[in-house]
Amino acid sequence: MNPSDETLMAYADGELDAATRKQVEASMAADPQVARRLAAHQALRSQLHASFDKVLEEPVPPHLIALVRSAAKGSEVGQVLQFPRKQAQRRAWLQWSSLAASFVLGALLWQLASRMYPTAPITESKGALVASGALARALNSRLASQQTASDPVQIGVSFRSRQGAYCRTFQLRDTAATAGLACHGDDDWIVQVAARADASATAHSQYRQAASSLPPVVLEAVQEAIAGEPLDAGAEAQARAAGWRAGH
Amino acid sequence: MPPLSEALSVELVELLPRLRRFARALAGNMSDADDLVQIAIERALSRAEQLHDGAPLAGWMFGILRNAWIDEVRGRARRNRVFVPEELGAQVPDPSSGQALLLPVQQALQRLPDEQREVIGLVLIEGLSYREAAQIIDVPIGTVTSRLARGREALQAMLGDVEQERA
Repeated sequence: MNPSDETLMAYADGELDAATRKQVEASMAADPQVARRLAAHQALRSQLHASFDKVLEEPVPPHLIALVRSAAKGSEVGQVLQFPRKQAQRRAWLQWSSLAASFVLGALLWQLASRMYPTAPITESKGALVASGALARALNSRLASQQTASDPVQIGVSFRSRQGAYCRTFQLRDTAATAGLACHGDDDWIVQVAARADASATAHSQYRQAASSLPPVVLEAVQEAIAGEPLDAGAEAQARAAGWRAGH
Repeated sequence: MPPLSEALSVELVELLPRLRRFARALAGNMSDADDLVQIAIERALSRAEQLHDGAPLAGWMFGILRNAWIDEVRGRARRNRVFVPEELGAQVPDPSSGQALLLPVQQALQRLPDEQREVIGLVLIEGLSYREAAQIIDVPIGTVTSRLARGREALQAMLGDVEQERA
């Protein structure tokens, strides 16, 4: 008996019942040609696995993990974004939930960012996105008045949030114009929102941002969080000297 | 967005590597594939009420991802093959993107018709049964087997294994 090609494929895919499997094995034993045909199917399976299983070894982009975690009950992402909202719904469209969404969705760029920097500028830690590498160094040490246009990380405004935390806006120059807002937590700079400032490479219309220096979603986040006026150069230097701790 | 139970969110995070693998098989390159995974997660979260702990998450997610690919990403991936985005042109190609270094079998898979590529991805790469693949694509099992047969034949022909096929 010469099994059909479909039967041989089903054999290779483990889809045959025991009786048919035995028939196939008998015809393989009787005819080496059948065994060779089966080997070709199995070789294709192995080739596909050998090339695509590499994906399983790659680190999963943090924004995908953050997106899943953001929907889990008691998510820390949600907690991080709980700024007090003393003023009534100044901008009704900007619910914190939607900011939480844009915070993770705007993170489309992490995979790109992590290719450009030896250390990714933003990493995931316990469900929150935390500045690291060159971005963390710039947020910690750079005074806005002392930076040059060639610095890969540009610091924008610094201010106190209504919660009392120090916050700073930033732009990553060599990663497709990423801009965002980070606020100092206990130890780290927690990235509150980040978005690409260009429209060309984004997947969905709601992520498209006007070509202003800061994307609107970042500006809105600043206006929502800021208490009083941005820090002047003197206050910025004092805050840096205090390690950006909220105490004073 | 209805909250996801802790158990389901852990399960979904654990499934991400496989979703990325299936998406890579469909979309061909890392950036479209990860966009696709993101869209699939968003869609899944928006209907998380359909799921309860212990429900078969993998098949459900593969189906959502496959439909997202049909609806949103397929056309874009095709365009990207013709037009390289300007911003990418200015950057050094990154080997880890896999785009520049697609293995012959990956290139061959990208040249298959979509309907063959998705069954190859589900059955040969993800190891689903014919019945599971048929449910996800919403076709009879016979359609899955015939698409698999044609896809395999085309792949083997492209990869130069035709002589082994002659009975």
